Amino acid sequence: MKLLHLYHDIMNLYGDYANIVAMESLLKKSGHDVEVCKRSLGDDVKLSDYDFIYIGSGTERNQKVVLKDIMRFGDDLRKCIDSGKVILMTGNSFEMLGKSVTDSSGKAFEGLGIFTFTAVEQNKTRQTGDAIFTMEGSDKKLVGFINKCSSISGIEAPLFGVEMGLPDNDNVSTEGIRKNNFFGTHLTGPVLMKNPYFLIYMASLIPGADSSRFSADLLPHETAGYEVTLSELTKRIGEKI
Amino acid sequence: MKKFFTILICKFLRFIGGLVGKGSSLPGQVALKMCPDILSRVELPEYIIAVTGSNGKTSTVEMIAHILTENGKTVAWNKEGSNQIEGVTTLVLGNSSLGGKVKKDILLIESDERFAKYTFKYIKPTHYVITNLYRDQLTRNGHPEWVFDALKDSIYPETQLILNADDPLVSLFGEGRDVIWFGADKLSSDTKELDSVYNDGAYCPKCKSPMTYTTHHYNHIGHYECTSCGYKRHDTKYTITSVDLDEGEMVIDGSNKITLALRSLYNIYNILAAYTVASIVGIDGKKIASDMSDYVMKNGRVITFEIGSRQGTMLTSKHENSISYDQSIRLACAEKNGCDVMFIVDAVSRKYFTSDVSWLWDIDFEMLKSENVHEIILSGTYYNDLAVRFEHTDIPEDKIKIIPEIEKACHYLDSDRKEYIYVITCFSDKGKFLALL
Repeated sequence: MKLLHLYHDIMNLYGDYANIVAMESLLKKSGHDVEVCKRSLGDDVKLSDYDFIYIGSGTERNQKVVLKDIMRFGDDLRKCIDSGKVILMTGNSFEMLGKSVTDSSGKAFEGLGIFTFTAVEQNKTRQTGDAIFTMEGSDKKLVGFINKCSSISGIEAPLFGVEMGLPDNDNVSTEGIRKNNFFGTHLTGPVLMKNPYFLIYMASLIPGADSSRFSADLLPHETAGYEVTLSELTKRIGEKI
Repeated sequence: MKKFFTILICKFLRFIGGLVGKGSSLPGQVALKMCPDILSRVELPEYIIAVTGSNGKTSTVEMIAHILTENGKTVAWNKEGSNQIEGVTTLVLGNSSLGGKVKKDILLIESDERFAKYTFKYIKPTHYVITNLYRDQLTRNGHPEWVFDALKDSIYPETQLILNADDPLVSLFGEGRDVIWFGADKLSSDTKELDSVYNDGAYCPKCKSPMTYTTHHYNHIGHYECTSCGYKRHDTKYTITSVDLDEGEMVIDGSNKITLALRSLYNIYNILAAYTVASIVGIDGKKIASDMSDYVMKNGRVITFEIGSRQGTMLTSKHENSISYDQSIRLACAEKNGCDVMFIVDAVSRKYFTSDVSWLWDIDFEMLKSENVHEIILSGTYYNDLAVRFEHTDIPEDKIKIIPEIEKACHYLDSDRKEYIYVITCFSDKGKFLALL
């Protein structure tokens, strides 16, 4: 199985690389052959060669640099999403798939246009906070952290419901975007490491993966850690933070 | 009259606060309510020296105060480390006459990176030291470039910048300005290739093209050059010319030798920054070196302890700051007689609640493979997250001991093992261990 960590060096701001490590580790523990490829700006990459693709978060400036580079993948990425390839983009990386990203000076950068949403950044207040999210079809909540400065409008098929934390913008109570097996969320950092059930779910979607071999028993500290975080965060709901 | 009363009340509250052991920001807060522009109404000394950056502010400020005081200067400085505008107001008014004149030769301010722009609107530093910009408390700070943008607004044209030439992002503040640069020559502890989990020096902060390094001091601190726009490290006026961490010695400007009470790269940068400031104020380099030799910090960040028959050191590192952890780990790994290392992550943040442990993935725990490190103990509420992180290193499993309760971990350490103990944790958690001794 081939996993791609795209823009591994420039979009790796919050320990995001741990997501690819988590996927690699689960697949290996469950007896799959895995190869991880790290690629970045200007590298020759054929997206269709991979079974799982991941991009993490970056600074606003780095995202604009990557936005220029990712344009060459536009058609391929659209085809991958339409054909159900398993793709995860965390932090501000998924913003690049929308119509545009507008920076704090008001300058609009054209996005890939795979989706119709738009992202608008500001430079006054960093929007950060712990998160508890729900996902349709799953009884396991997600825990994590959001660290962003943008507001996203126009998402038609959201990924998560927000129980605690920051939604896409002030007027909605949902976060992220999903289409087929494409998952985009502003959760930052090691999302798959912190959410072992979500990891197992996502791994099960990979064609050729034997999902009967996936079990939370393979991830004892991950599941115990998840329960601790969920319980610590749940205590905070309703409290003044 | 308003000025007089504001100062009087601030001094009074500061006095009361001192008696009951309360923090130092309340008096300033009250003063700012009474007279919002009070800071612009006081008469300030000739030198107003500000220090900011992700790491080393408190230590650098303490060292500067130490050297200046040793050399007969009077210094007003925020010992308590309250570094936002309220704390600085308390500091300034507490050291001024009722007429509003600061009665010291030098006003020395440690300033929070994000709030410097508010503080310096009223008190413009004559000299401004910026030590470094790292991934530090990102749950509030966003990221280093976000902090850079906030700090940029705190720099005024008339201020003399004093910058770390080895930090590419910090050096960007000096573009088009007259800067006093400090930094280190190629050191014996340097590496040719980067020895870190992530690389914040991979791309030029100015044009975002790839950068190359001829030498890395640690993380993105080193001698860099952009492959495209020509942005590169500046030559330094004040320089660490050599360092020997094993022997505990550093040399500044070729001839001023300083013996180190704490043998870390962090410490030598803090000393260099303090040396630079003291030199600018007019103190002789030889004298500074002798004042700094074997100087033991008083700010409680390194605490030695005994547990049963065993000896140990607590290295207070900042949670949510991977470079701070890397430095502490490096120090433990250098223990030639062998050591055990304990990590505690119980409350992630000192002031705010968060469960974010993404920063654990930025720490280079892999260094603990070192044969000098015999046993590793993981403890605290977030021990599972630590355990997962360690699972993804090449450290042999039998070297790692997981003891969730801090108290039990503390009992466990009280054994007849001979190894020296390092406890690596944060301000937020250090008391939980120390209280058990």
